Amino acid sequence: MLREARQGQVTAVSSALSAASVHCQVEPVGRWFEAFIKRRNINVSASFQELEDEKELSEESGDEELQLEEFPMLKTLDPKDWKNQDHYAVLGLGHIRYRATQKQIKAAHKAMVLKHHPDKRKAAGEQIGEGDNDYFTCITKAYEILSDPVKRRAFNSIDPIFDNSVPSKSEAKENFFEVFSPVFERNARWSNKKSVPKLGDMNSSFEEVDAFYSFWYNFDSWREFSYLDEEEKEKAECRDERRWIEKQNRAARALRKKEEMNRIRTLVDNAYSCDPRIKKFKEEEKAKKEAEKKAKQKQAELEAVRLAKEKEEEEVRQQALLAKKEKEIQKKAIKKERQKLRTTCKNWNYFSDNEAECVKMMEEVEKLCDRLELTSLQYLNEALTSTTREGGKAAVVKQIEEVNEQIRQEKEEAEARIRQASKSSERSTSSGGGGSKNWSEDDLQLLIKAVNLFPAGTNSRWEVIANYMNLHSTTGIKRTAKDVINKAKSLQKLDPHQKDDINKKAFDKFKKDHGAVPQLDNAAPSERFEGPVTDSSPWTTEEQKLLEQALKTYPVNTPERWEKIAAAVPGRSKKDCMKRYKELVEMVKAKKAAQEQVLNATKAKK
Amino acid sequence: MAAIGVHLGCTCACAAVYKDGRADVVANDAGDRVTPAVVAYSESEEVVGLAAKQSRVRNISNTVVKVKQILGRSSGDPQAEKYITESKCSVTEKNGKLQYEMDNKLVSPEEVAKLIFSKMKETAQSALGSDVNDVVITVPFDFGENQKNALGEAAGAAGFNVLRLIHEPSAALLAYGIGQDSPTGKSNVLVYKLGGTSLSITVIEVNSGIYRVLATNTDDSIGGVCFTEALAQHLASEFQRGYKHDIRENPRAMMKLMNSADIAKHSLSTLGSANCFVDSLYDGLDFDCNVSRARFELICSPLFNKCIEAIKKLLQQVRLTADDINKVVLCGGSARIPKLQHLIKDLFPTVELLNSIPPDEVIPIGAAIEAGILLGRENLLLEDEALSMECSAKDILVKGVDESGSDTFTVLFPSGTPLPARRQHTLQAPGSNSSVCLELYESIGKCLAKEEDKFAQIVLQDLDKKEDGLHDILTVLTMKRDGSLHITCTDQDTGKCEVITVEVAS
Repeated sequence: MLREARQGQVTAVSSALSAASVHCQVEPVGRWFEAFIKRRNINVSASFQELEDEKELSEESGDEELQLEEFPMLKTLDPKDWKNQDHYAVLGLGHIRYRATQKQIKAAHKAMVLKHHPDKRKAAGEQIGEGDNDYFTCITKAYEILSDPVKRRAFNSIDPIFDNSVPSKSEAKENFFEVFSPVFERNARWSNKKSVPKLGDMNSSFEEVDAFYSFWYNFDSWREFSYLDEEEKEKAECRDERRWIEKQNRAARALRKKEEMNRIRTLVDNAYSCDPRIKKFKEEEKAKKEAEKKAKQKQAELEAVRLAKEKEEEEVRQQALLAKKEKEIQKKAIKKERQKLRTTCKNWNYFSDNEAECVKMMEEVEKLCDRLELTSLQYLNEALTSTTREGGKAAVVKQIEEVNEQIRQEKEEAEARIRQASKSSERSTSSGGGGSKNWSEDDLQLLIKAVNLFPAGTNSRWEVIANYMNLHSTTGIKRTAKDVINKAKSLQKLDPHQKDDINKKAFDKFKKDHGAVPQLDNAAPSERFEGPVTDSSPWTTEEQKLLEQALKTYPVNTPERWEKIAAAVPGRSKKDCMKRYKELVEMVKAKKAAQEQVLNATKAKK
Repeated sequence: MAAIGVHLGCTCACAAVYKDGRADVVANDAGDRVTPAVVAYSESEEVVGLAAKQSRVRNISNTVVKVKQILGRSSGDPQAEKYITESKCSVTEKNGKLQYEMDNKLVSPEEVAKLIFSKMKETAQSALGSDVNDVVITVPFDFGENQKNALGEAAGAAGFNVLRLIHEPSAALLAYGIGQDSPTGKSNVLVYKLGGTSLSITVIEVNSGIYRVLATNTDDSIGGVCFTEALAQHLASEFQRGYKHDIRENPRAMMKLMNSADIAKHSLSTLGSANCFVDSLYDGLDFDCNVSRARFELICSPLFNKCIEAIKKLLQQVRLTADDINKVVLCGGSARIPKLQHLIKDLFPTVELLNSIPPDEVIPIGAAIEAGILLGRENLLLEDEALSMECSAKDILVKGVDESGSDTFTVLFPSGTPLPARRQHTLQAPGSNSSVCLELYESIGKCLAKEEDKFAQIVLQDLDKKEDGLHDILTVLTMKRDGSLHITCTDQDTGKCEVITVEVAS
């Protein structure tokens, strides 16, 4: 129940609706859904039957107001010649033609009948033709044709005012779109398919153009030419005649249809050959192909370069292989010669009957085998085979002497070098320890750590180690993998020497202990390495051992390390321990440096 | 012209044909209206339907059941993994696709579905006596794009021309023609589907004859099979009591017992008691047992509770009460169980329970009706945008007074109406007044309109006074797609007319 309006209340909108429409997901079922989609697809703005009815009404009223064109020739038309008349013009629809709706045709006919019916004219006192001779027959005929969809189509097909012309190629040279666009639009009305693609413009995409031409090349036309049939089937008197007429007509129609298709074909051909877009696309295609070709060529060149490189590598490898083989051959030869020497020596019982002498000779021969080159060995063997036992002995002894002399010389040289090296290494350790390539103590430690951290088998192990070194080193020296490898190898080589040294030292100590001060354990000072040793009492082995143990049990980061270490070594203060430790470190460093020096020297010599 | 609607469920498939304006389920060659969706592979042939189901006892590793659960899923899918572990036949992955391994040949789930579809097609064609290809197929609401595609492909391979895939709950509504007769009005319908392996409940809003899903929930852990299993367990314990043999560990005996329990369960939906009889169930011993409906309901009471709780949960989720539901549609074979219908009836005491169509036939019938609607139409292809419609966001109400003089609100234009739309109402005012005033409000939900929601008023002055009559005010509301509203009020007696247009606030 609605309320009564209060005084002064008027129709008004106080505020706009707060919410617009929302999009909802719906289920695609049911007839209302279908109806909804259909309405939406044909873009009906409102969803009501009434509106559609209104539209229809307005259409009808439009029909009533339909402007019929006066056809001035109407009255002069010859009803006999109805085939050649323009039926649309007769009904006054000359301006709408094939677009006229059935309704409009009906309305137009009605209007014409009202105006031109013979009875009406007779009443108006006009002259009327006899029977079918009156021009009204034309109107009837026109309506008859246009109201029948089949006949109307036939008439539309040969629409007398349709322009069948096809622009020639030369016409379209300059303004292709202006010339061809209207022609295609005109011909589009013959299409069976509803949506005819437009010619487009210069900016149309390749797909659009392609779709356009493929549509027109496969043009499906409804145009037919039954209207132009020479004879009318209905006029035939018997079946045979009718058949004959039909046959004639069919042939004529087919011919015309073919002509029509040819016309369309020519049109499309002309357009295609003139189309600037096609030219453009072709050029683009060509450019693309060219680019592809170039890319391929480049690829081929690259490939050739790669192949050449591979070949080179292969050659290098082959050479290396050859060299290796040669070496092996040489090795084998040496081996053979050695064996020969040994056997000859053995055959001659090592040139002596004395056992001891024999053994000594054997050793010497072995030495010979090791030291001599291939050529000298060969020479020796030749000499041995060519002479007697005594001669052989002389040759061998001579050779042995030579070799011994050589060894001695080498030894002397080496000793001299070692002496020199140790001197320089001492110098270098005092100046910071960076003997070779500035490997400081920290770096060395770091290297050892790194080597342990990345064991053999790690992926690109030495690069990783080098990186690790560079990252963690405090010296800031950049090291390459090669440096690291060299250093590590040298360290490894050094190790056994160090061990030897230590062993020797221990032996010396032992000798001193037992030789100089026998029965006294604590009298073994390690003075030899304590260059600037101060007044503190020397360390005994016992104490040394304890200290080492303590150093191990309390690692570097232990808080109050030295106190604890001192406590672990009875009879020694914290200061003593530290001093001793420093000495030891220095000692080791010096030794290492010296060894390095030697190694470097030998390497340099090589 | 005829068309088919096919529903492929996890356990059963059913086909309905649409002919001469009617949709009917067709019986298969065995005379059953529902065909088990079971495919058995043997060396020489593939068997679909009841025969395959019966022979599953002997041929378990080469019999495919519940193919729908794996259709269109890839191996990473948890659902597919679950299915593979439960399945009795081996499923392997090849080229990224899951396939069954049958007698050393690989069979894809699509091929299995294709066989079932072929069977349904045969069934429909033998009933119609002519070749029919146009079909509408139903899919569960939670089917993804891949699964829909797989199902469509399978149907296409079976020779069907798929007109459309529609959701099962919508098909159920269509079967009852809800909202199809008169397009105005708005109602909420609850579709309760208890199928073989899953329970799915959907609330659909029907407005202007168009369906919109408000909420849906699928529970894969409960289905008709659970009831059968519970009954079979009961029967097994009965057997143990009688013969002192525990047959639960014997898969073959349990399979036999399951088949028997299934039959008993079906007859209990119509009869007060059912007889379970299995020859030579175990060790040559026959088994014979009577189960009453009350016993069955007792055994299954936890399951019933679960089925009902699911409804309550879903309603809570969409903030609706039982009163907001106007209709309940039952579908799925297990919705036949009388106890379940009873419980649902208790939950919705005032609501119409639609179960006149056998529940397991509702969905295929709906699909067939849809197929009939689509038959002969062009442009069946739906773009995604077609599935989304502009709808009005808020209710449009008019304020009036009742006999006691207090304010009342009448909904003139409900929310969720697909736009554009026109609604026409004849409002009445006491004839003693010479003027009427329509105060228009907008509101969302069920909360009453407040004063600030008022957006317009329409006043008609100088009406003819009628002492013992009523003024009839014809009110037409038209809302365009953008949500702007146009209202025309006309007094029927004097022809006085007021028109307003309300735009949407930008």
